[in-house]
Amino acid sequence: MSKKTKISIKSLYKIFGHDPASVLQFAIDGMSKESLLEEHGHILGLRNIDIDMKEGDITVIMGLSGSGKSTLIRHLNRLIEPTSGKILIDDTDVMKMDGIELRKLRQSGMSMVFQKFALLPHRNVLDNAALAPSIRGDSVKHCHEEAMKWIERVGLKGFEYHYPHQLSGGMQQRVGLARALTSNSDVMLMDEAFSALDPLIRTDMQDLLLELQKDLRKTIIFITHDLDEALKIADHLVILKDGYVVQQDEPQHILLYPNDPYIEDFVSDINRARVLRVRSVMTKTNEKGKSKFESDIEEDDTLESVISKSDGETNLLYRVVRNGKMVGKLHMKDLVKSLVPRHASQAGVRSNVAS
Amino acid sequence: MGYKEIFDSLGLRQWCGDVATKKEILSLDQLLAKAKGEQVPDRAWWDIPFPSLDNLHEACNTIPRTRDMVKGIENGFLYIKDYLKIVLDPLTQPLSWILDGSLYVLVNTPWWILIPLFLLLVQYISKSIKLSLFVLTVFVFLAFIDHYSFAIQTLSVIFVCTMLSVIFGIPIGILMSKSDRVQASAIPILDMLQTLPTFVYLIPLIFLFSVTESKLYGIAIILYAIVPVIRLTDLGIRLVDKDVLEAANAFGMKPSQKLVRVEIPLALPNIMAGINQTIMMALAMVVIASLVSAPGLGVLVLRGIRNLELGVGLVSGFCIVLIAVLLDRVSKAALKQINTSSQ
Repeated sequence: MSKKTKISIKSLYKIFGHDPASVLQFAIDGMSKESLLEEHGHILGLRNIDIDMKEGDITVIMGLSGSGKSTLIRHLNRLIEPTSGKILIDDTDVMKMDGIELRKLRQSGMSMVFQKFALLPHRNVLDNAALAPSIRGDSVKHCHEEAMKWIERVGLKGFEYHYPHQLSGGMQQRVGLARALTSNSDVMLMDEAFSALDPLIRTDMQDLLLELQKDLRKTIIFITHDLDEALKIADHLVILKDGYVVQQDEPQHILLYPNDPYIEDFVSDINRARVLRVRSVMTKTNEKGKSKFESDIEEDDTLESVISKSDGETNLLYRVVRNGKMVGKLHMKDLVKSLVPRHASQAGVRSNVAS
Repeated sequence: MGYKEIFDSLGLRQWCGDVATKKEILSLDQLLAKAKGEQVPDRAWWDIPFPSLDNLHEACNTIPRTRDMVKGIENGFLYIKDYLKIVLDPLTQPLSWILDGSLYVLVNTPWWILIPLFLLLVQYISKSIKLSLFVLTVFVFLAFIDHYSFAIQTLSVIFVCTMLSVIFGIPIGILMSKSDRVQASAIPILDMLQTLPTFVYLIPLIFLFSVTESKLYGIAIILYAIVPVIRLTDLGIRLVDKDVLEAANAFGMKPSQKLVRVEIPLALPNIMAGINQTIMMALAMVVIASLVSAPGLGVLVLRGIRNLELGVGLVSGFCIVLIAVLLDRVSKAALKQINTSSQ
């Protein structure tokens, strides 16, 4: 099943400086970020970005700080203007929108969740959550009904008359999430939405997001610098470095077949057993043959769960099923092998970044 | 060697006119010398004076003396005064009406209505019984020593001037915060208004308007007191959290919605601090403006100075201090209310 492309970014460039257009050609011709800064005094923000984001998917854009990920997400609703390139949403060119159309897009087509929450400090939770419909000019009653619905959904019932400063970080971000959901937009932009939260609350919020996403099937663009987070929630993972896309694919695929030493280093620290799923490492087959299967496992099971099922025994063969039908087999030996990165990194990501 | 020779060597003698023939007495020095029957001694070259207007005039008649220059400015001002008056008089007339009206109402309202009204207002603004009791004490004291009506006049002028300063100051501050160019051109004017000695304001105003008109002191007070509210509105709006503004943009707020829903509410603590300063500066100016017929406690202070009535001056000075403390406390309490409700 191929999903419809909701947002499409085509050869997007962003250069910061006093006259970006003048140095655009150098960037297109491949001049490095450093020499562009040294010789022309311009900072290359994004270089030749091409991403298709599918409807109903969570597209995660991952990169270290300075990789341009926050710049990229702000192009989608034109909080930042690109130097050149196209951004299509439902085949409408965002770059061609005038002020009123753009405002309409931001009011009802796209909502945003921010790293620093960015709630209105003088408004209570209910009014904050009701921001989007109230900007559109809906009646107060309707705004509050809509907002209440989502406040309950994110688990803040009973806090609607509190002010943001009375809430913890995690609860504030729930308000941020409710605010984005209340706008009823198809697209949600999440700019490091959970990065400012402590690990336990972050996991809670990720689970909340995934649970909501099961029902809502929104197109979500999620920015993060945390690979674990990216692998947990991504349907499509884009890895950004120094303003260009290093690799983009399904997260499982990137983990197993990294195409760049940078990414290899990145993924070498990951608990692969928890992230990899059976379908990514199994041998595809639907014939039963003579093999004797220990038992059935689901194709979406994590390797971790299979290991615990095997109780450490490495000489077992499992039958992989999807909806009760066999789709492949998995030998424990293959499983264990896949746990080791193809080229185990000597240096690690940190030394690479420092150099 | 002197300026005469310089003008000669530049070939400007024709333009300057012949000075050598004129033995006009120009300065006190020359007069003294003449009285003593001395000749003005020739100066050595190192004694050459600074080329000021007076000294240059000595060498060249065409260059005006400083006193001619001052006279010229005066004449210029007197010349445009009449035209300025045609424009400014009707424009500022409402100010007189408001000042006089407010004075009339407040002075003619019986004390047993006015004092409770003030207390209710203070209680409403500050929500503090302690402060209301303090205000009550001050009023009872002022009334007891028969300074009540003077104090009410002072308060009336301050209320009107502060109100107008806020009405004009906040929009100006907003404009400044929105445009760097407006800010750059407004700041020197604000600096000038703030640093100009308060008496200097009064000089051109006295010529423009008649001293008996209340708008004269009204304008002087507003010009002086409007500065902090403008500055702090500008500052407050520029300091609004960029993240919150970005969120407002991301959700598609119009500029006007941003201003009303985000910028002004978030800048309110700063704006209130500006209003507090404006009130205090209006009080400072209303005392000085008694020179140009502003009513109130300042009149008593002035009487104390003029007639060397030490007691009158001291008592009215103390009353002004009381009023200052009262205004400061009440406006700070209002500021605190805003801060706790918005954080």
